[in-house]
Amino acid sequence: MIDAAARLRRPLWLRTYLGITLLLFLAAAAFGLVFSPRDVTQGDLIRIMYAHVSVAWIAFVAVGLTAVFGALYLWRGQRRDDVLAVASGEMGLFFAGLTIIGGMTYSRPTLNTFWTWDAKLTLTAIMVALMVGYFIVRGLIDDPVRRGRVSAVVAIVAAASLPFNYLAAEWFRTLHPAKSVALDGSGVTMDGTMLAVLLFNTVVAGMIYLGFMIDRVRLGRVEAALEEERAQAVTQPAPVGKEVVRV
Amino acid sequence: MNDLHAVLWIARKDLLQEARSKAVTVATVFFSAVTLGVLAFAFGENPLLMREGAMGALWVALAFAGVISAAQSWQADLEDGALEALLAWPVPRAAVYLGKLLANWGLMTVLGFVLLPLAGGLYGADVGGGGEVPAALVVAVLLATIAAGTLGFALIAVFYAGLTANLRARESLLPVLMFPVVVPILLAAVRASNALVGSGDLDLAWAWLRLLVGFDLVYAVVCLALFRFVVEA
Repeated sequence: MIDAAARLRRPLWLRTYLGITLLLFLAAAAFGLVFSPRDVTQGDLIRIMYAHVSVAWIAFVAVGLTAVFGALYLWRGQRRDDVLAVASGEMGLFFAGLTIIGGMTYSRPTLNTFWTWDAKLTLTAIMVALMVGYFIVRGLIDDPVRRGRVSAVVAIVAAASLPFNYLAAEWFRTLHPAKSVALDGSGVTMDGTMLAVLLFNTVVAGMIYLGFMIDRVRLGRVEAALEEERAQAVTQPAPVGKEVVRV
Repeated sequence: MNDLHAVLWIARKDLLQEARSKAVTVATVFFSAVTLGVLAFAFGENPLLMREGAMGALWVALAFAGVISAAQSWQADLEDGALEALLAWPVPRAAVYLGKLLANWGLMTVLGFVLLPLAGGLYGADVGGGGEVPAALVVAVLLATIAAGTLGFALIAVFYAGLTANLRARESLLPVLMFPVVVPILLAAVRASNALVGSGDLDLAWAWLRLLVGFDLVYAVVCLALFRFVVEA
C-alpha cells in the first residue's frame, strides 16, 4: 500500500521555497503598486501591466514546456515525463486563464473594450481552447501509456500551431499595444524602473509556476503510483504485508 | 509493394467504399447546402452583408462537412476489425494516414468546387471577381485556394479523426480538438477567397495563398511525423 498522505506532506525545503515565493510575490505587488512611476499616458493603470504581462509570458512558457515534456515522453516513454507534461499543462491553462482575465481588466479602461480580435488576444483564447482539448482527451483515455502518448501528440500539435495562429491573426488590424521589449534585442522602449519592476514580476511569476509545478509533480507521482497499484491489484492477488510501489 | 503504392491503394479503398455506400457524399453535400441556407438566414436581408459573407459561409460549410467526412473515413474501418487489419499491414503508419488524407482531400475539394457556385449564387457574390482581371483567372486562383485550404483542413481533420476514432464522445470531441488548430488555415483561405470575390485582387489573394501553402507544408510535416503515435493496433 502507498501511504499517499505521507508522500504528499511537503518537505521543509519546499515549504521554505513556497514561503519565500509568497514574500517575493508581495514584494513584487508592492513594487508594481507603490514604487513604479505613473505612466505618461496611462497613469496608475500601468500598474495592472506588471501582473498581466508577467503572467502572460509564463503562460506561453508553460504551454511550450507541456509540448517539450510530451515530446520527451514520446521519445523515452518514461512515466515521469508525462507527469511533468500534465503538471505544466495545468499551469499553462491556469496562467492563460489569468492572462485573459488580467488582459480584460487592463484593456477596458485603457482601450475602452473588454475584447478585440487582436492577434495576441486571439492567440491566448485559442491557447485556452487547445489546452482544454488536451485535458478532455486525457480524461477520456484510461490506459496510462496510450493517454500519455495521445495527449503528448495533442500538446505538440497545439504548440506547433501557436506561431501560425499568431502569424495569421497579426494580419488583422491590431489594437493591442506594440511590444515594448523586443525579443530580438533591438531595443527596449520602456522606462528603466518600469522594466525592472516588470522583470522582477516575471521572475516571481516564474517562481510561482515552478512552485506549483513541483507540488503538482509530487501529486502526479502519487497518482501514477496508485494507478499502477490498482492495475496490479486487478491482475494479481492482493499482496501480503506492506509493499511500496515507487514510480 | 512500395509505400507509395500502399498510399494509393488505401486511398482507392476509401474512395471505392465511398462510391458504393455514398455515406459521406449524401451527408456532406446536403449538410453543407443546409449550412449555407441557414447562414443566409442568419445574415438577414442585407445584400451587402450577404455578398461579403459569401466566402466565409462557404468555408464554414466546408469545415463542418470536412469534420463529417474525416470522422466517417475512420468510422467505417472500425467495423469488423478492419482498422486492426489495416494497421497490421507491413507498411508505415504514415502510409495509412496519407491514403486516407488523399481520399478525404479529393472528396472535400470536389465538394468545394460544387459549393462555390452555389454560395456565389445564393449570396449574390460575383465569383469571377467583377474587376479588370479576367474572370477565368480569378476563378482559377479561387479553385487553387479551395484545393490548398481543403488540403490543410484535411491534414488536421484526418489526423485528429484517427486520434479520436477509439474514444468515447468522439463526435463532439473532434471539432473541439481540431478547430483551434485549423484557425490559421481557415483564416488564410477565407482572406484569399474574399480578396478574389470582392474585388479580384490577385496580389492580395496570392499573398494569402502562399501563406496557406506554407501552413499546409508545416502541418503535413508535423502530422506525418507524429501519426505513428496516434493509432494503436
